[in-house]
Amino acid sequence: MTSEDKMVGQAAPPAHLAVRGIQKWFGGVHALRGVDFEVARGEVMALVGDNGAGKSTLMKVLAGAHLADDGTFLLDGKPVEVTSPNDATELGIQIVYQDLALCENLDVAANLSLGAESVKPGWGFLPRLLRPLDDLEMEVKAKKAIDRLEVRTLQSVRAKVGGLSGGQRQAIAIARAVGAESSVVMLDEPTAALGVAQTRQVLEVVKRLRETNHAVVYISHNMRDIFEVSDRITVLRHGTNVATYTTSETNPDEIVVAMTRGLDTENGNAA
Amino acid sequence: MQPEAKMTFLDRFSALRETQFGAFVPVLLALAAIWGYFGLVLPLIDLMSGEADSFRAIFLSPRNIYNLFMQSAVIATLAVGITIVLLLGDIDLSAAATAGVCAALLGVLVLSGVPGWLACIIVIFVGIIMGAAQGLLVAYVGIPSFVVTLAGLLGYQGLMQKILPTGNLNVGDPFVRGIARVLIPDLWGIVLGLAVVGLFAYANLRKQSLRKALGLEQDSAFALWGQVVAFSVIVVAVVLTLNAYRSLPLLLVLLIAITALLGWITTSTPYGRSLFAVGGNAESARRVGMKVKRIRVSAFAIVGLMAAIGGIFGASRYGSVSYTAFAGGSLLLEAIGAAVIGGTSLFGGRGSVWNAILGALVIGSLGNGLDLTGASAADKLMVSGAILLLAVAIDALSRPGNGSGR
Repeated sequence: MTSEDKMVGQAAPPAHLAVRGIQKWFGGVHALRGVDFEVARGEVMALVGDNGAGKSTLMKVLAGAHLADDGTFLLDGKPVEVTSPNDATELGIQIVYQDLALCENLDVAANLSLGAESVKPGWGFLPRLLRPLDDLEMEVKAKKAIDRLEVRTLQSVRAKVGGLSGGQRQAIAIARAVGAESSVVMLDEPTAALGVAQTRQVLEVVKRLRETNHAVVYISHNMRDIFEVSDRITVLRHGTNVATYTTSETNPDEIVVAMTRGLDTENGNAA
Repeated sequence: MQPEAKMTFLDRFSALRETQFGAFVPVLLALAAIWGYFGLVLPLIDLMSGEADSFRAIFLSPRNIYNLFMQSAVIATLAVGITIVLLLGDIDLSAAATAGVCAALLGVLVLSGVPGWLACIIVIFVGIIMGAAQGLLVAYVGIPSFVVTLAGLLGYQGLMQKILPTGNLNVGDPFVRGIARVLIPDLWGIVLGLAVVGLFAYANLRKQSLRKALGLEQDSAFALWGQVVAFSVIVVAVVLTLNAYRSLPLLLVLLIAITALLGWITTSTPYGRSLFAVGGNAESARRVGMKVKRIRVSAFAIVGLMAAIGGIFGASRYGSVSYTAFAGGSLLLEAIGAAVIGGTSLFGGRGSVWNAILGALVIGSLGNGLDLTGASAADKLMVSGAILLLAVAIDALSRPGNGSGR
């Protein structure tokens, strides 16, 4: 894509995760038509587009939930295969879905270690499923993860998730993704259902992710949030790239126009 | 979380429910209320009105308490099993019928000369298979558990009638009868009780000191010692009361041991954690890689196991197997009622096998107390219904996040 080179130029940091020419068909629907996308470490890359532009599909392809029909994956420049969620997890790619997938009946520590519970050593004769849980170890891990993201409003890792606010839940879902030794964290509409204070809290967590040298992919419809946290913005439309902008060199109007009409009508203006 | 200026009674109650042992409080209160009414209030009323010459606490006599525990044991066994599937948000309506089939099979087997211990092992396997078969239909075919186990209820009732065409069979096998008849000698009962108390206190204190060492938040000393003292008092009181009439029966020791094992599995192993996770949010459990379908099947297998054990306990206690005592009677509803009165949510993700035992005691105490006062079967049914409703209402009102803050 020449437009991408034009928008980003030499300012673009070296990509940590990059995909080239991603194609995805759902039956007769051509959902992704050769999409390029990249994100660097220590960067928040916003992914925007109108409904049906292919944001969620692209994100699921990156997370291994959908298998791309064509295209290449590069991690730090080396080609890699992502054909299942496990592949993505092993490469350090984590996704926080919009519904968060938390168990409200369990406490924060249990949610953070869900599916990867610590067990006490010395019970090797039992199948792993029946070895005693190491609750304290999980609490220590949870406290570390929460402290790393500086979620100050959370008082106890033993609180049930069902009693927490929306922002705290979002932070816990993010902490779970980060806790899994990840380098790429993808967030799907993390502030969609939140009030002002809660949104602020989540944006602070996203900024912390950037400071801890994660590559963050941030999907949102909210221009204010995007312009507050993102470093670059990739615009998709009808399953193709429109352009990638450096956030500090563009403005919301330009992004909205790119999302809804593409570059053709605004030719030359986008640079 | 947020400190509020004033808490209503319900808020305090909800906060209490959140603590580790707080979940026992409502059912313990219900039990205390029932025992207080039948054991103290009614005899006092009799005394005042001149119907009785002296204060006679029949209900709270060691003999009646002993019978009460034994009567509640079969209900409790089934309720413990049903609690496991309730944790997943499923239900098992066939548990009592499964117990009936297992008990009938046990009776026929020992009658035909199979040794008692072998017959017990065989019916336990049969129970597990009967439960797992239903679990396979729920998990892999995707039929709601209500429908699968309703079909199981009908089918297994029929099966029991096929095995027992006369509807009744005496079980005289010494091994089977022994489960309910063997008594632990008084001294050993006390030693066992003290050992359990010591273990409980040690585990709690050790956890507290580890928490301190790791710099984690600690339970308050009041809560810690409160738990230990309350637990000790209950255990010692139960053992002494039973000793005062006969002794600690083997049946109860077995029931408590099995419940302790299941309680440990559900709260302290990755498998148990996955039960709660699937009950809380199955999609979330699937995404983190839990094998949701296998977990479902295994939970139904555990109900089958507990139903079979319940069948053995029942056959042992009654000395006979009859259609009405298991499949055709009120056992199923009492067992589900016991689990729910104990505070296990029908929607999954919340509950405990220990609460099922206490719930069974509530149901058993009601039946026993009403029997002693000469109430009719009709009264018993209506009172049981009212208590069940009351228990669920208390549960709904005190549920964390009820009304506000969601």
